[in-house]
Amino acid sequence: MPSYLCLQRSLPSENRSKPSPAQMQEMYAKFGAWKEKFKDNLTDLGGKLGEGKLVASEAPADGPFVEVKELVGGYMIVSAETLEQAIEIAQGCPGLVSPGSGVEVIEIHRP
Amino acid sequence: MIETPQPAPLVEHFFRHEYGRLVAVLSRQVGVEHLEQVEDAVQSALAAALETWPVRGQPDDPGAWLFRVAQNQLRSELRTASRRQGILERHPMDEVEDASPPETHLRGEVGDGLLRMLLVCCDPALPVESQLVLALKTLCGFDVREIALRLFRTEANIYKRLSRARARLREAPLELEGIPEIEQRRPAVHAVLYTMFTEGHLSSHPDAALRRELCDEAIRLAGVLAAHESNNEAAPTPETCALLALMHLHAARAGAREDASGGLLLLEEQDRRLFDAAQIHAGLSWLERSARGETFSRYHAEAGIAAEHCLAASFEETRWDQVVEGYASLIAVSPVHRLNHAVALAQWKGPAAALAALEGFEPPTWLAGSYQWSAVLADLHHRAGGLEQAARHRAVAVELAPTDAIRALLARRLAWLEGQPSSG
Repeated sequence: MPSYLCLQRSLPSENRSKPSPAQMQEMYAKFGAWKEKFKDNLTDLGGKLGEGKLVASEAPADGPFVEVKELVGGYMIVSAETLEQAIEIAQGCPGLVSPGSGVEVIEIHRP
Repeated sequence: MIETPQPAPLVEHFFRHEYGRLVAVLSRQVGVEHLEQVEDAVQSALAAALETWPVRGQPDDPGAWLFRVAQNQLRSELRTASRRQGILERHPMDEVEDASPPETHLRGEVGDGLLRMLLVCCDPALPVESQLVLALKTLCGFDVREIALRLFRTEANIYKRLSRARARLREAPLELEGIPEIEQRRPAVHAVLYTMFTEGHLSSHPDAALRRELCDEAIRLAGVLAAHESNNEAAPTPETCALLALMHLHAARAGAREDASGGLLLLEEQDRRLFDAAQIHAGLSWLERSARGETFSRYHAEAGIAAEHCLAASFEETRWDQVVEGYASLIAVSPVHRLNHAVALAQWKGPAAALAALEGFEPPTWLAGSYQWSAVLADLHHRAGGLEQAARHRAVAVELAPTDAIRALLARRLAWLEGQPSSG
């Protein structure tokens, strides 16, 4: 089965409010259900990305440069038959696609 | 594939109640003047749990995990702040660092912590509604949006009340060692819990679960107060018992107050088989415990009336004389009870007696401008034969009804103008 890299992207949004404790518990329960439903597809639940640095042979052209973590919040790897199925899995993940957050789903070509 | 053990399901409201427990215990450690930092630390501990638990598995003791994370977060937050302000000189967090495992903090201090926080919230310098808002935020774990929704206020209003309350706590933090304030603040605690319950019980919010939640929270916190009184004063005070009695006795009828489609039902329409026997039992046993000493508070009177309604086999068989007596003792508390008194009197001695009892009574403007006032007058006049006055009051009542559910209720109760006979 092909693998897909899912990158969580921060998106500009007006109504990005912190979830309340009750909402968090709801998300936690949904997350459990989602994980159970797609347990055969979730290869690596990944995690948040921290600090990073671009290493290049030549000095990059003039900035401004955005830090990686501002663009990409986190990653995970899912296996799916098709891109569409991978998208379905990523979309089902609670909170991943919400105000202020989106997900980029990219196929990984393995030689 | 992911292999994490299936965690034990969290109890209902775990996140919300954990929020309240942690805020209570931590603000006791560092002082309520740092309430805002405490709340931020607890919020980020919950967020960390949401990120970590699904991937790494739920810890065996989720409460202890949250406590540890929140405490560390708060410590580093205060350390940063102390570099500027010297806070640690007053609250040496490092001393408690390894004093005892977090489990001990949680189990030993939770009840105490919650009660102390409740006393902090019931600061007489704040308006009662702000005390209520502060309690809902810090002890019940509702956020601004959720409080606004439940109290029918704007988020801006709730936000303003909270920031004023926090400012007040920064200026005049309650000394949390020992609780001498319980004597002075007990009436305020009772009033806030009563208001919390009433906001849920009488709310016209369309979502029954939301209304029920406020009632459950009030009962939970009143239980904390009763437990503290049991431990420190041999027995809960009569007022606390009476308050718990009236909450349980009202909660007993909650399930019978609505029809299948969520419409409100009149007491005479309610199916008494739907009254919750366990709640009635709990209510009566608190009522029994409240009958001690000389005290007879408004809570005693209201619990007594609620008990009459729960125990009557039918609407007709209600001991109206007892209900009338109960409301008579409450007239001094609020003019709205004069209205309740008249309604009960009409059942006992007839509408003419009720109208006579209201004669000469000048209701305050808020009562005169309420739909209840007009609805009761419409009903009493109609039953006494004053059809013209009845029609006038009915029109006003329908006009003033705050929600569709109440308008529907009035239209049915006061349906005689549409040619149907009065049920009274």
